[in-house]
Amino acid sequence: MTPQDTLQEAKIFGDGLGRVAVRAITPNIFWLTHCLGVLAQDYYKEYFAVLPNAADYAGDRIVDYPFSAFLIVDEKSLLIDTCGPKQKEAFLDAVQFCLDGRQLDYIWISHVELPHAGNTGALKQIWPSSQVVTVAGGENYELHGLENALTAAPSDVIDLGEHSVEMVDALFVDHGLSQWLFERKTGMMFTADWAHNLHEPAKCHCFKFLDEMFEAGYDAKTHVEDIKVNAWYQFPWLAWCDADILCEAIDDLFDQYDVKILAPSHGNPIRKDFKQFIPALRDGMRMAAEMPFSHVL
Amino acid sequence: MIRHVIDDLYQIGEHVETEHGLEAILTYVILNDGNPLLIDCGSHIHRDSVMAQLTELLGEGIPEFLFLTHSELPHAGNIAAITEKWPDIKVIVSNVMLPYIEVLPVLPLEQITQVVPGTKIEMSGRTIEFVDALLKDQPGSHWVHDSRTGALFTGDGFGYMDTAEGSQSVVDGSDAGSAGDVSQAAFEAYHKIAFRFLRWIKPERIAADLRKMFAKRNVQVIAPIHGNAITVNIDKHLDSLIGALTAVNKSYRK
Repeated sequence: MTPQDTLQEAKIFGDGLGRVAVRAITPNIFWLTHCLGVLAQDYYKEYFAVLPNAADYAGDRIVDYPFSAFLIVDEKSLLIDTCGPKQKEAFLDAVQFCLDGRQLDYIWISHVELPHAGNTGALKQIWPSSQVVTVAGGENYELHGLENALTAAPSDVIDLGEHSVEMVDALFVDHGLSQWLFERKTGMMFTADWAHNLHEPAKCHCFKFLDEMFEAGYDAKTHVEDIKVNAWYQFPWLAWCDADILCEAIDDLFDQYDVKILAPSHGNPIRKDFKQFIPALRDGMRMAAEMPFSHVL
Repeated sequence: MIRHVIDDLYQIGEHVETEHGLEAILTYVILNDGNPLLIDCGSHIHRDSVMAQLTELLGEGIPEFLFLTHSELPHAGNIAAITEKWPDIKVIVSNVMLPYIEVLPVLPLEQITQVVPGTKIEMSGRTIEFVDALLKDQPGSHWVHDSRTGALFTGDGFGYMDTAEGSQSVVDGSDAGSAGDVSQAAFEAYHKIAFRFLRWIKPERIAADLRKMFAKRNVQVIAPIHGNAITVNIDKHLDSLIGALTAVNKSYRK
């Protein structure tokens, strides 16, 4: 199996809590993703239990939640995030499979949490000349295992050959020092912790692109609900926000960038007809901000 | 450096240099009548120092619980060393955390317990309560309140950038160290970096929730991980923090 064969079907490395799959979004951009599959029902029941509508997510519908990285292979190669230490062995195998003997040149980190940056040290051991890139802003990155990182700010660009990536001001974040990324050739926007759906292992949704999920029964109403629920969990600060301002920011983002592919960390990538999904992203965020928050004060 | 905060509460840890001043990376230790409790466990880059301070402070004592405010490396970076030295320690985290992927895989998952906000644990005449972290940079975060000392352990919240002189002392009103108070500017410098979501909020809304949280319980000590403990002028420091959050929010409107 070649890396490009994963345009059609996933290649899976490892199993259980450590498994990682590869799908090619384009011939040169790969989605490397971990999710739990049949184990999801054991790990997410409590997680979703605090939802006002918990039964929709931990009852008949058992949902799963991916942790993803993306790899652009060109004259230079750039890895977006690293998956977590629990997936280290499978993840390193997956990266090597996609690189197919080439070097890894950049390890670009969206933010410092373990599922996003936790294999940076292991990657550096294999490719010691690779350059770690993360967000400028004053953090002491040695604390996060990212010593000697190059820092970059919004609008900074890294040329990879035919592809080039632009740092994007991350609108909706958990960690303060976060960044998003826009690949100019393909129009792929990486949005880290924002704009992600959920998927159902029982419906064979694991490792599928969103268009493939729709062919397998996923629908627009569920998509909006999933975006809402994920935002509610990911961004509890929505409790103190005005939804209109958030929606304006979303519109401004997609006015500024001609996005054709959406690549979130924790959802199934949208590789086709992206613009039709913008209303869902906006509505999901609005609905999340209008949900009740039950902070224990 | 080991510093006594109040009653049986101590802080240990180190400071690191940042562009904006010195940032503390602390662990709090409650001696708890011989059944010590740890709140966070510091950075891996301070492993030797943190473990030496813990050993000096605890002697033969064996910590029963490690409460993680959240699992980022500056807060949980020594979990391997901790569990190697005290293999039976029980680790408590937020119910919104996914320990299999968000905690370093150095201990059995069965040793990690997730608790929902509002959970209370009674021990040795004190009540440990887990509450929502109102200022957090990771969804699976919580704050911890100790009824005996009145300490509210606020994780990343109430962090501040310190000076070389200020870093030498807890904020206890003495002339030494921070001369008695943490300034709004010091809170602002830290929170602008740590909580970029502040650009979107209505400051008065988060202020109301913070005031409710403080009004509901006896807070005698504000114990951030990224700033020495604050044992005086609690109401004034809450006002300064709210002023800082408001100023950060306004900085995005320019």
